[in-house]
Amino acid sequence: MAPQDGRKPEVGDFISTPSAKQPKDWVLLLLRLLAFMATASATIVMALNKETKTLVVATIGNNPVKVTLTAKFQHTPAFVFFVIANGMASFHNWLMIVMEIHGHRIDYKGLRLAVIAILDMMTVVLASGGDGAATFMAELGKNGNSHARWNKICDKFDTFCDHGSGALIASFIGLVILLIINVKSITKLIKPNPAGNIGLLP
Amino acid sequence: MVKTKRLCLLLLRLLAFGSTLSAAIVMATSHEKTNFFAVSVEAKYSNTPAFKYFVIANGIVSAYGLLVLFLPPESLLWRLVIALDVVFTMLLTSSISAALAIAQVGKNGNSYAGWLPICGQVPKYCDQVKGALIAGFIGVIIYTVLLLYSIHDVLDPLLMQKT
Repeated sequence: MAPQDGRKPEVGDFISTPSAKQPKDWVLLLLRLLAFMATASATIVMALNKETKTLVVATIGNNPVKVTLTAKFQHTPAFVFFVIANGMASFHNWLMIVMEIHGHRIDYKGLRLAVIAILDMMTVVLASGGDGAATFMAELGKNGNSHARWNKICDKFDTFCDHGSGALIASFIGLVILLIINVKSITKLIKPNPAGNIGLLP
Repeated sequence: MVKTKRLCLLLLRLLAFGSTLSAAIVMATSHEKTNFFAVSVEAKYSNTPAFKYFVIANGIVSAYGLLVLFLPPESLLWRLVIALDVVFTMLLTSSISAALAIAQVGKNGNSYAGWLPICGQVPKYCDQVKGALIAGFIGVIIYTVLLLYSIHDVLDPLLMQKT
């Protein structure tokens, strides 16, 4: 694949920075943009999820006793983890978009593709963890658990539940897109870009 | 050198298979019955969908781990194994984080939602679930290490060619 003769030093330079003439991968860029929008919207919607409701708990004489209850995402560690995981996933997506557009000259012994693949994998794993925890927590809030005598909360705080499920759906879409991107970056590792090789032949 | 690497990989996959299998079995056999204020309380893993998902996910991954153990080293299917490793690691992490979230509510309760902790009434059940979660966590870590190693393995021949 790489001729070892020293007559053409430009060929060696070309191999160490093959991305100098690589065309931008528009499909990958578009996918990363979509994933960034999905994870960022999931983070923001869940982070701003808050509902306050005044409930009548008991009646003393003629006066109803009112209690103000607030449902915030910070009350549940699963949702906190969800916000943090999706925040890190959107940061990773933004970083990858910036690297795709601007960072083609930065390469070190071809490790760039490997680092991208490994970071993609870590982000997929983290985002799937956050999604799993938040899904089952939301299911618990929606249906309750009769065996443990945990009441459902979605009948009282329906806006909270609606926003939460919207954030969950956005996060799942982002996770699926991230998985596709990850598979694409791993296949890029196995099969190097043929456009770079075509430039090698005189 | 290659033989030691192969042996090491085989040992890692064996450990991963063992931990996911034990996580699934320990969680599936967690069961406790007790009397609470003259009401019979029974705690089983099937009461909670998160724990059911944990058992199913670890069962699927241990079946996959068993199949991969018997794969001959020069087969062409190793590319598929790398891709399936990513998918199954993702499945494992989501199952363990779901089970961990519900177990945390069971242990500490949630005062804002009016959910009382149940670990005080069924301590043996809680201990068994804790053990299953630890085994599942070890499985997740081993699968992540295996995945990193697969990427490194795929990358090394490429580096050899370029230098």
